[in-house]
Amino acid sequence: MQIIVNGESQEIPPECTVIQLLQDQAVTLKAAVVEHNGKILKQEHYRSTHLQTGDRLEILVFMGGG
Amino acid sequence: MNDIMQSFNSLDDDLLIGGANLHSRLFLGTGKFSSHEIVPRVLEASGTQVVTMALRRIDWKNPQENILTYLPKNTILLPNTSGARTAEEAVRIARLAQAAGCGNWVKIEVVQDQRYLLPDNWETLKATEQLVKEGFVVLPYMSPDLGAARRLQDAGAAAIMPLGAPIGSNRGLQTKELIRILIEEISLPIIVDAGIGRPSEAAEAMEMGAAAVLVNTAIATAGDPVFMAQAFRLAVVAGRLGYLAGLGERRIEAEASSPLTGFLQEG
Repeated sequence: MQIIVNGESQEIPPECTVIQLLQDQAVTLKAAVVEHNGKILKQEHYRSTHLQTGDRLEILVFMGGG
Repeated sequence: MNDIMQSFNSLDDDLLIGGANLHSRLFLGTGKFSSHEIVPRVLEASGTQVVTMALRRIDWKNPQENILTYLPKNTILLPNTSGARTAEEAVRIARLAQAAGCGNWVKIEVVQDQRYLLPDNWETLKATEQLVKEGFVVLPYMSPDLGAARRLQDAGAAAIMPLGAPIGSNRGLQTKELIRILIEEISLPIIVDAGIGRPSEAAEAMEMGAAAVLVNTAIATAGDPVFMAQAFRLAVVAGRLGYLAGLGERRIEAEASSPLTGFLQEG
């Protein structure tokens, strides 16, 4: 199943949840923020959100900036 | 020097913004450091309480990396909206930063001009209006213009952050006269952001009555960022004391500092 993560297409297993995707990529959950199809996804919904073909995810973290 | 810093700290001269009492009038940016590891030492040397950072797509080669890990717990986080070209994009970034647990402070930065990175005051105003309504403490980065600053003040901004010179240029207070007018006419704290390249320029901004300065490139790209952070800390305190002390009047002609009741030419 294909989804778009940070602008790039990515193959994920069917029935994949947001939390599985983040954990597979070793993302530090506390420090990241996720947008799912243009809407902020709260952390408490990572587990219950099943990804669908064509979904768009933005996974963002804080970097140095002025 | 410690005596001076101690007596300065005992002065009741906190800067009040968004419900916070700040004794340090030096805000720090965290971009451009050679490594994140140096950031805690720089922050400690600077004495800063308010630190800016940016929201970016995760680096898959380094998914654990996050600037927040390197900031002391009591730091006030001031996420910027860099990368935003419109008010809508700035609002989106501010909401994401808040969702990421960054508190409710935000530095609005809306830039379309890629050569000089000058802010778009009109889009900045629209983003400020929206985010104030949503309960954010909004600090807009802006081109120093009195009309725009008045509108930002009316929109409920917590402070106004005019640029001294283009971001990262280290060219100092090129907009000095316009900043002077903002300090005179606007009742909100004026925080000079961008362009300050040397400690003496930070001191100059503070002598003029700026409420604070925000420094990033000058410290991050210094030969020794930790020493430079200390230098800026002292410069900000020196400039602030100079302002509080009341600067002497400037004149064109000399006025003798020694008594002129000389005796050499007499009788």
